[in-house]
Amino acid sequence: MLRAGAVTGGLCAALIMASAAMAQVPPDPNNPNEAVPEKYSYTPYGEPIKLEQARKVAAAALAEATKRGWPMCISVVGPTGELVYFEKMDDCQYASIQISQHKARAAARYRRPTVVFERLLGKGPFFSYLATLDDVIASRGGNPLVVDGKIIGAIGVSGGTGSQDDTISQAGAKAAQ
Amino acid sequence: MKQRPMLTLDDCKKISAAAEAEARRNNWNVCIAILDDGGHLLHLARMDGATPANARIALEKGRTAAETRRSTANWQERVAKRIELLRMPQVTPVQGGVPIVVEGTCVGAVGVSGVQSHEDEQIAAAGIKALG
Repeated sequence: MLRAGAVTGGLCAALIMASAAMAQVPPDPNNPNEAVPEKYSYTPYGEPIKLEQARKVAAAALAEATKRGWPMCISVVGPTGELVYFEKMDDCQYASIQISQHKARAAARYRRPTVVFERLLGKGPFFSYLATLDDVIASRGGNPLVVDGKIIGAIGVSGGTGSQDDTISQAGAKAAQ
Repeated sequence: MKQRPMLTLDDCKKISAAAEAEARRNNWNVCIAILDDGGHLLHLARMDGATPANARIALEKGRTAAETRRSTANWQERVAKRIELLRMPQVTPVQGGVPIVVEGTCVGAVGVSGVQSHEDEQIAAAGIKALG
C-alpha cells in the first residue's frame, strides 16, 4: 500500500511538471474549435414567462401529443431554467419527468434548441467537449420560447423518440408567439 | 390481483385548478405540485410571484407526503418532539404537503409552498377536496 502511494505521488508530480512545461498548447489545425469568430450573435433574455402563458404553451403541446396519441411529459421553464409549469400525460414513461425538465432547462440556459447539442456531438470527437459542460442534454425536444425577439423561457418535451419529442415541443413553442 | 386507484392527468388538473383558485381567493402566490404515490411529479404550476425556491419546496413537501403516506404537518409535529427524525432520508418536515387518499389508499400527494405553512396546507387541502 505504501509503495503504491509513493508511485502514484511520483506520477502526479510528473504530470504537474508536464502541464507546467506545456502552458502554451500549440494550435491543432484540424480542430474547428480553434477558430475565433468575430461575431457573437445571441437572442437576449426578456421578461420571465407568466403562468397563464406557460399553460397556453403546454396546452398546445398537449393537444398535439393527444392528437397523435403520444404520451409525453411537458415542462415549461423561465429564462433561468426554473420550472413554471409541468404535466405528465397518462402512461408516459417515468424517465421523461426528469428528461423533459432537463431539456427545457438546457434550452433556456444555453439559449438554443437542444437539437444543436445533438447535431454537434454527432459530428465527432472535436465536439465531445460539449458533454462536459454543465446541464447539457444532447437530445432534441428542448426549445426556447421567443416572443418579440426575446427569450421568455423554454419548453422541454420527452416521452417518445427525439424527433417525436421535438415535434410536440415545437407545437408548444409556436403557441408562445 | 389487487387493483388500486391511480391519479390521471385530468384528476391532477382538477386538483391544481381548485388549489390555485383557493390561493387566488386569498391573494396568495404559491407553487402547487402534485405527485403520485412513488413521489414522481405529475403536475406542477408556479403562480406569478412564487419563487424558484417555492417550486423546489412544494415538490419536496409533496414527495414527503406521498412516499411516507403522512402529511408534512404530522412530520413537523413529530420532529418537534423527536429531533432525531430530522435524519430521516428525503423528508421535508414542514406543513404544506398532504397525502391524497382514495378508497383508503394513498394515490399521491399535493405539496404547496409560497405563504405561511398552515396556509400552504389550506391550499393543498382545497385542491384535494375538488377530487370529490
